[in-house]
Amino acid sequence: MIRAEGLTKRYGRHVAIDHLDFSIDKGEILGFLGPNGAGKTTTMNIITGYLSASEGRITVDGIDVLEQPEEVKRHIGYLPEQPPLYVDMTVSEYLSFVGQIKKVPKGQMKLDMEKIMDLVKIHDVQKRLIKNLSKGYKQRVGLAQALIGNPRLLILDEPTVGLDPKQIIEIRNLIKELRQDHTIVLSSHILPEVSAVCERVLIISKGAIVATDTPENLSRRLVGSNRLAVRARGSESAVTKALSGIKGVKNVTVQSPAEEGACDVLVEADTDRDIREDVFSSLVTASAPILLMRPMDLSLEDIFLHLTTSEQEVDQ
Amino acid sequence: MFAIFRKELRSFFMTPAGYIFMSLFLLLSGIFFVTANLFRMNSNFNAGFIGSAMFIFMLVSPILTMKLFSDEQRFKTDQLLLTAPIRITDIVLGKYLAAMAFFVITLAVTVLYALIIAIYGDLVVSETVGGYLGFILLGSSFIAVGLFISSTTDNQVVAALVTFASLLFMWILDMIISTLPTDQTSGVVFAVVLALALSLWLYLSTRNIIIGAGVFLVCAAVIGTVYGIKPELFTGFIGRIVGWFSVLKRFPDFAKGYVRLSSLVYYLSFSGFFVFLAVRVIEKRRWS
Repeated sequence: MIRAEGLTKRYGRHVAIDHLDFSIDKGEILGFLGPNGAGKTTTMNIITGYLSASEGRITVDGIDVLEQPEEVKRHIGYLPEQPPLYVDMTVSEYLSFVGQIKKVPKGQMKLDMEKIMDLVKIHDVQKRLIKNLSKGYKQRVGLAQALIGNPRLLILDEPTVGLDPKQIIEIRNLIKELRQDHTIVLSSHILPEVSAVCERVLIISKGAIVATDTPENLSRRLVGSNRLAVRARGSESAVTKALSGIKGVKNVTVQSPAEEGACDVLVEADTDRDIREDVFSSLVTASAPILLMRPMDLSLEDIFLHLTTSEQEVDQ
Repeated sequence: MFAIFRKELRSFFMTPAGYIFMSLFLLLSGIFFVTANLFRMNSNFNAGFIGSAMFIFMLVSPILTMKLFSDEQRFKTDQLLLTAPIRITDIVLGKYLAAMAFFVITLAVTVLYALIIAIYGDLVVSETVGGYLGFILLGSSFIAVGLFISSTTDNQVVAALVTFASLLFMWILDMIISTLPTDQTSGVVFAVVLALALSLWLYLSTRNIIIGAGVFLVCAAVIGTVYGIKPELFTGFIGRIVGWFSVLKRFPDFAKGYVRLSSLVYYLSFSGFFVFLAVRVIEKRRWS
């Protein structure tokens, strides 16, 4: 459905994205994952025709965005990072304005609006001014705006950023519901976010694609790093000493204690060793009972470090 | 285009900026009408009211145009407009026409003043109609300039101030022109400077020294030939060129009730030029 070839965007000397090649199939949910400034938003802006690429081309259903912008834009619903809301309008005024500029026929617009407002649950606020809505509602109105005109392709830039956990789950479920009728591209800098809804993930770092795979495969590739957070009763020095003695432990860092009489440490071990049992026995020997032990979730930074270093190793 | 037009016009009626513009304009021009026409028992509507109202419009029109595009950029709503299946020209024209409509609606209120004169004095209808027509055309140029400036910045205040400064400059342009040298030598020098600027711009936009130098040589040859054949063409040359930007110079004809086609075309193309520039600015932002 979308095909990008050698997509490059330069701002003066700064290269925002560097020769990206990717394609998105019909009915797929693709996630762009990357830290802030990686080029996710720029890529999305180019797909939607808001920006033009410095080099390369992008086609949607075989149509070039630059050659027939209106035809392409007709099939795209876009929710930018900051929802493009006219805060002086009420929700229903805003949505009908969007319908007008998207050239949705009037009769269909009425039905669409009802359907969309039901879907994103904004019926109860439709008469209110957008500026008085909460962040969660604003985000939903932004999503409603993208859905108007029933576009085949939905592009959602960080759709859950700034929402509370309950709202995040609601929006995720909504996106899952939408997958039946739409091809969806969404971006995020949070891994669980992407793995929760996407079938395929494209990791972007510094304007280049670092990896592309299903979330399951990606996490399998990432089970290399081995870190444990441990809380044990006892003095800092005793616990650190006991843990440092374990075979394969590379590093023990003391965290700020969260419980009185206990200490928190972060244990890093060689990637090929499971040290949990050793930690247990050595802390028993040191008579420092374990209060908590938990494998650390990989942060996105770790994944990047991991991916970029392994790719470099391949290059060498 | 119609959707944008309606949305903008509605926003003038829904936001303070529209009312501030309208009330300031009507208040100040009302004061001028009372002092210049009513108190002095003067039934010359154009000289009394329209002349001063135009000056007031110059002062307050930045309020009308400042947020047209700068707000869209600031609140990122331009992402909605530019990713919707509409042309940039339609967006710009919709906004321009909305500002024009709001201006004409405001101006329509002042027809009451003309009615007062018509009832209690002698109103020269042709002159008044001409005055209003000229005012609307002049206003359209001011609004086009404001629209263009608003498209270049995401800050309303900057847009308003720069618009105000530009309009003020246009206002005093005739005064400046009268102080410019009119002799042939300075005319030739000015022509050469223009040619130089043109070729420099061509060079900078194409990065091709041959085009830049070539255009400059052609221009220099033309200037030399013209100077050789008809040197008197360069007398007052600077004034004539700068005079193209003097939107005020063409107004007095309207105030006398003459509608000249050339002036009509001038105002329309002046506005068209700035609307076009605004379209280009927005288009270009995609590439920067």
